[in-house]
Amino acid sequence: MKTIALLSALSFAATLPLPAQTRPNLNGAWAVYRAGRGAATDPKLAAPAAGPLLLKPPYADAYKKRQAAEREAEQRGEPLGNRGTLCIPYGMPQMMSAIYPLEILQTPGQVTIITEAFSEVRRIYLDEPQAKMGEVAPGYYGHSVGHWDGETLAVDTIGIKEEVLGFRSMPHSDQVRITERFHLVAPEVLHDQVTVEDPVTLEKPWTFTFAYRRTPNYHLLEYVCENNREYLDDNGVTRLKLQDH
Amino acid sequence: MATFRRLAPIALCGLALPVFAHHSFAMFDYEHRITLTGTVTKFEWTNPHAYIELDVADANGGAKHYSIECASPNVLTRIGWKFNDLKTGDKVTLLVNPLKNGKLGGMLEKATFSDGRTLADGNPPGGRFDQ
Repeated sequence: MKTIALLSALSFAATLPLPAQTRPNLNGAWAVYRAGRGAATDPKLAAPAAGPLLLKPPYADAYKKRQAAEREAEQRGEPLGNRGTLCIPYGMPQMMSAIYPLEILQTPGQVTIITEAFSEVRRIYLDEPQAKMGEVAPGYYGHSVGHWDGETLAVDTIGIKEEVLGFRSMPHSDQVRITERFHLVAPEVLHDQVTVEDPVTLEKPWTFTFAYRRTPNYHLLEYVCENNREYLDDNGVTRLKLQDH
Repeated sequence: MATFRRLAPIALCGLALPVFAHHSFAMFDYEHRITLTGTVTKFEWTNPHAYIELDVADANGGAKHYSIECASPNVLTRIGWKFNDLKTGDKVTLLVNPLKNGKLGGMLEKATFSDGRTLADGNPPGGRFDQ
């Protein structure tokens, strides 16, 4: 009888969420973990290669055409610009590529992520239900809810504006859903495995991973895009505005 | 970019090398470098890029004006620059990748200050980086 009670207590315990104090501590500043660059990196901890991006035919054709045009313009020395060139923030999920460091803040019921580039902010509400698709006003960061799945922070995001360029400029519709799994692969290395689903533009979900290195003494700098001298001419080519003196 | 490699590691400990995806750098000529020695008319410590406005004396007693793009203050800070490293009126020598279209502008590769100190620009060699 004792054994049964113990077993049943154990099995009950296994289904309980981990107490908050055992959650991984993600607080602080993080920079891209880049194998072969900067400080020594362990290839085993680097982000795995992105899966294949499989777009539905009309989107795939437009995507290929744009990429070819970008390559050709680049070789000509007249690069095409995009929203980033115009100082428009990246939004989700491109902001998570962290071209400059980012900061994670864990507070009760919420995880907040702030990037240095463009000072972008996303708020992940823990243990709250996700809104219905189509009920979130489209924006750059959408509506994110999350929960701890063991030692992994699982996050679900919807409500991303169609104009926001996806990772590697992936096109998306207003039905895009981004799920993320944040997990420490080493005490100082964090992975964010991102899966993008879009029934309109994607043949199948696209998964890629961002890897970050903890940078304990780094203080994020401000970034206000106030003096953009790059502009796009009538052909969409990036030009530099010069001062006549 | 040997200079860049020598200068960078101190400030970059624990941080990935700086990259910037605000715009492509293909408008600059990375096959050629020009050296400009002149007087700073303005140093703009701003995002998305810092700029050095420079008057360079020409052979006829006049001056040509150049606009030199640098990395962002964020990248520059991480490799050792300070917002007050250059002031209006300072003499400076800049190693620059010129604009391909021949206009008087370019991308900074290295600055040599009047006291002999040098600082590289933080953008990756050839303006290329992994996405």
